[in-house]
Amino acid sequence: MKLNLILFIVLIICALTTVNFKHLTRSNFAKLDEENKKTLELKDQQTMLRIEESSESRIEIIEKVAKQKLNMYIPSLKEKKVIIR
Amino acid sequence: MIKIKSRKEYFELSRVRRRIVLIVMLALFTILFAQAIKLAAFEKDKLQKESRQRQHRELDLIPYRGKILDRNGALLAESTPVYTIIADAAIVNFKNKDSIIQAKLNGQKKKLATLLKLSTKDLDKRIKNKKRRSIRLRKDIAPDIKVKIMELKISGISSNKIYKRFYPENDPVAHVVGFTGGDGKGQEGIEFLMNTVLTGEKGKKINLIDNKYTNGKRTPRVVGEFQSITLPKDGKDIKLTIDLRLQNEAYNALKKAVEKHEALSGSAVLLDAKTGEVLAMTNYPSFNPNGYNKVGPFIKNRAVTDVFEPGSTMKPISFAVALEKNIVTPNTSIDTGKSPYSYQGKFIRDTHPHGVITAKEVIKVSSNIGSAKISEKISSNNLAAMYKKFGYGKKTGINFPGEVSGFMRNYTRWKKIDHSRASFGYGLNSTLIQTAQAYTVFANAGKLKPITLIKGDNPKISKRVLSPKTTKTMLAILESVTDDGGTATKAKVYGYRVAGKTGTTKKLENGIYSTDKYIGSFVGLGPVSNPRFVMAIMIDEPLGKKGYTGGTLAGPVFSRVMAKAFEWYSLDADGLELEIQNEKEAYADKTKL
Repeated sequence: MKLNLILFIVLIICALTTVNFKHLTRSNFAKLDEENKKTLELKDQQTMLRIEESSESRIEIIEKVAKQKLNMYIPSLKEKKVIIR
Repeated sequence: MIKIKSRKEYFELSRVRRRIVLIVMLALFTILFAQAIKLAAFEKDKLQKESRQRQHRELDLIPYRGKILDRNGALLAESTPVYTIIADAAIVNFKNKDSIIQAKLNGQKKKLATLLKLSTKDLDKRIKNKKRRSIRLRKDIAPDIKVKIMELKISGISSNKIYKRFYPENDPVAHVVGFTGGDGKGQEGIEFLMNTVLTGEKGKKINLIDNKYTNGKRTPRVVGEFQSITLPKDGKDIKLTIDLRLQNEAYNALKKAVEKHEALSGSAVLLDAKTGEVLAMTNYPSFNPNGYNKVGPFIKNRAVTDVFEPGSTMKPISFAVALEKNIVTPNTSIDTGKSPYSYQGKFIRDTHPHGVITAKEVIKVSSNIGSAKISEKISSNNLAAMYKKFGYGKKTGINFPGEVSGFMRNYTRWKKIDHSRASFGYGLNSTLIQTAQAYTVFANAGKLKPITLIKGDNPKISKRVLSPKTTKTMLAILESVTDDGGTATKAKVYGYRVAGKTGTTKKLENGIYSTDKYIGSFVGLGPVSNPRFVMAIMIDEPLGKKGYTGGTLAGPVFSRVMAKAFEWYSLDADGLELEIQNEKEAYADKTKL
């Protein structure tokens, strides 16, 4: 009778533990899934930023900015001075 | 009605009934048991699969396709999220009896139509058929537009995310990078060659679903977040040896030359002579890999897929054989005569008569007669063997899709005239990249450099083709080609010593050489004191109004690209001291495209 009672209590504990772990697993998986979604969103954002960066850093754009905003230009051969070591 | 007389009789009757019931129950149990065994033992897999299908929904998690980058990390190809806007015509409703709600719905419809770049009439037309549950209103919608559409909160309007390949550099790198098809698989170029590496591995997510039915149709809902998840493995990035700056420079110079000379097309290959890396490989006309009409004659990477007779660019190779075998010295006199040279019943011609010239001048002025006369002293066996050592007649090893090996007839089948013509590049053909690779021999003290397009590829061992002594002599001779009196003065680069050889070939049409269609080419290297770059350029069928020779067509392209390459790679100007004695402006005029 005593043994049965002990086994019954153990059974109840095991059952509760199983339910609890299952719940924890699910909620952890849910968090993981959320994080994966966030990762994907961030990756998408990173992609868009990278494309923006690549289009903004094109040589033609840099040259255009250098010419228009900084008044820079490629010197002609006449303007080049050569220093021979 | 049956009358029971005694208690015993009652039980007797009951026993019969009991037995019948028992037998029926036993029979039922037997059937049930048999069915259970049947289901558990013989239909287990099928039932489990069906159960999974009913309770679970498998979702593929698509991996990010790897990026394609140039040698400095500049972006050449990238997968970007785009959205397809879908309408469920059975749910979308822009009509209401209430005038206030109707006004609101009209406003929503107008906004939606504007964002989709449609007229409200077109939108109405598309969602007219209420039986259609999934109408694609517009694809390739940018993420910010999709957000604005979803913010309208119109019932029945949903979005579907896909990843589309984007090529920020457009035409200049199109032939190298290639493109993907509608299924996301590589179709051309590096996208095709490295498809497996770029693709990665799909992941999987399993959701729990219910068994809901709507209007007689099964419309399951996701009731559990998931059962299990396998994360996708993103594709690996591919770093190319291409230098985007030089690639753009080569493309722009080539474009200008093709347009100026009204040619059919042009190709250019720039190699790092020290490593064998392809720094630029471009063709004009090209195509936009982001466009939809990715078909037509200009889709091929003609630098590796198309062959042409190399013409005079072969002369230095034939001459090197003669030097290597001590048949001639650079100062040996060769009589090229003043008229066409009759040989084996055929005439070999020079564009201008040169008379008696030295062997090195044969290369400088590009004399066909001189080259033929020198080659007469070389055996066909030696000549053909050297061509093979230079890489002609076999693929370069770059492993690019569609690469061809070119054609070189077996020397045992050569007639004497074939031998002669081969010495100045006729009767055999090669790709432009083969020609560029062949000249790495002159840039690497006599060793042929294996070439590569993908950064980090295992380096292969260079093969000795010529002795360093012969190579040194050849370099000096090739340098003279760009000097005054040579055929490639337009290939000069201010401040640097460059060497090379022009080629002007008549086009072969239906087995006959055309009299007015040419291919002009130039292969050069520099700086001569320590060669770092080799560049080959080919211009196909110029109109001829402004010249048709290799020096005129391709020389300025070489000059422009090499000048930038020397500058960007900070190479010492080995010809500066000589140059400052000359008029600077003269260079500017001569090398102008």
